[in-house]
Amino acid sequence: MAEATSIVTLKGINKTFHRGKEPITVLESLDLDVPTGSFEALMGPSGSGKSTLLNIIAGLDRPTSGEVKVAGANLAAMSDSQLAKWRSQNIGFVFQSFNLIPVLTAAQNVELPLLLTSLSGSERTKRVQTALRVVGLEDRMHHYPRQLSGGQEQRVAIARAIVNDPKIIVADEPTGDLDRKSADDVLTLLDKLNKELGKTIFMVTHDPNAAEKASVQRKLDKGALQ
Amino acid sequence: MNIATYARRNLFRRKGRTILTILAVAVAVLIFGAIRTAVAMWNAGADEAAVDRLATRHKVSITMQLPKRYIDDVRKVPGIKAATWAVWFGGKDPKERTPFFAAFAADHNTWFDVLDEMSVPPDQLAKWKATPNGTILGDVLAKTLEVKVGDRLTINSDIYPGDWEFEVSGIYTPLRKTADRNSLVFHWDYLNNDPRNEFGKEQIGWVMSQISNASESASLSKAIDKIFDERDDQTVTMSERAFQLSFLGAFSAILTAFDLVSLVILLIMTMILANTIAMSVRERTHEYGVLRAIGFPPSYILGFILVEAVLIALVGGLVGIALTTLLINFGMGPFIEQNMAGLFPYFKTPPWVLMVALVAAGVLGGIAAIVPAIRASRHKVIDSLRRLD
Repeated sequence: MAEATSIVTLKGINKTFHRGKEPITVLESLDLDVPTGSFEALMGPSGSGKSTLLNIIAGLDRPTSGEVKVAGANLAAMSDSQLAKWRSQNIGFVFQSFNLIPVLTAAQNVELPLLLTSLSGSERTKRVQTALRVVGLEDRMHHYPRQLSGGQEQRVAIARAIVNDPKIIVADEPTGDLDRKSADDVLTLLDKLNKELGKTIFMVTHDPNAAEKASVQRKLDKGALQ
Repeated sequence: MNIATYARRNLFRRKGRTILTILAVAVAVLIFGAIRTAVAMWNAGADEAAVDRLATRHKVSITMQLPKRYIDDVRKVPGIKAATWAVWFGGKDPKERTPFFAAFAADHNTWFDVLDEMSVPPDQLAKWKATPNGTILGDVLAKTLEVKVGDRLTINSDIYPGDWEFEVSGIYTPLRKTADRNSLVFHWDYLNNDPRNEFGKEQIGWVMSQISNASESASLSKAIDKIFDERDDQTVTMSERAFQLSFLGAFSAILTAFDLVSLVILLIMTMILANTIAMSVRERTHEYGVLRAIGFPPSYILGFILVEAVLIALVGGLVGIALTTLLINFGMGPFIEQNMAGLFPYFKTPPWVLMVALVAAGVLGGIAAIVPAIRASRHKVIDSLRRLD
């Protein structure tokens, strides 16, 4: 029953890295269900496996064992190129350090994921304008990242994350590099995307204030959800 | 925006480095162009040799002479339209206005009929034929020796002793750009009858024949040589191109060195490009991770890097071509044609050399980027995202 309404279903996830010959278990027998349309925050100490879990959900990394089903797709069965295509259609990324391309304008950064689609130039422009309007930066579309504040850069990154209308947005410490005011603006924006546009948001954060914005808060410690 | 926008914008991300790399490629193309021009111009005479002419010389060496009566035997061979002969004289200017020029004693009745790439006004040709000590020389040599038609000219030889006095009967101009404008020709009889030529009486250096059908070149060469097989002085007959290349053969070591230097220049250019691309790719590893994360497949990363490298190389190549054209065709070229006409009657970079240089730059740009591009495209996304340098 839970699977029918879950956008993310993880079962028996194990993830082990090797440092030389020594195995390091980061995630152990982890199960997780994320309901469609929820806004979840994942907290935990450094090294607890938060980012690894986020990467597995986003299709950037594969578990050592276990089943990963996200947005209806069994990620374990997909090749790297299939995963890349799947990510472009289903996942919106928000990174801690924004990760905008410095040689492209705000609009061009937002347009990047659309270059992988068959949309025409005018359709892409419309979508870019809409995404920038949603994040309140339509008037900054021709600015380069260096001409924007940190908060504005993150909002452009969020516009890039939603321009392809993904099913789920994964955010890795989205307020980690921002001052309080900019962080609040970004969190308010994520909340709006969740409540008004129905986007599922899975956010990794150290910040308790950020976590409070989420409807579900989870804690990960030593590779297991508490 | 399209995919190429990103690759293009990356070009000038590090302006100083890109400009220096472009200049390095341009200089490499310039040096490559200059060397290839020198080699091409060196070979140009042979490359543009008439296909309907055969040269017959002594089988042992060009320095050995043939009996003059051989010319009659050659002329009787079916398929031979005309034949003439000459002896190498080796010209030197007593006033040393030029260190050396080609001078021949030739058959005045037939020389300009067979060597028809040189144009002599009919009245000057007639005058030459009627003047036993008459000479005709190239327009560049005439300018160098400061003579005009009707002047008297004294030259020396590195073979025959003393002063040799001539009357300038005519000045020839070339009908094809690679023809030597720096040579002099006079009557063979004048040399043959002079007592200073007592060891070369009734001897000729080589026979130059014009044939009716160029496709019969090989069979006619064999037919000519067969006539003299049983005689004391055997011959070897070859195409004019092969004849000219046999002279150039002495310089083959220099030409081989030029070829090697050309390759080294291209190798250096590739290494400079590879270094620039490797640095850029390393700096952008994190960024490529971001692109991969948002869905760009590895082939796009490979494409971005290769396109950027090829663009840098092509821009450098175009700058190099502009420099080569400017410096060689409008600078060095005219100077060399004026001052080294004996070696290089014509010195301009052929368009194919420029094209080869540009294509080589583009291809080598791609080759230089292939390893860093493949490595970047195969990097695991999460490893790339962790790299912050």
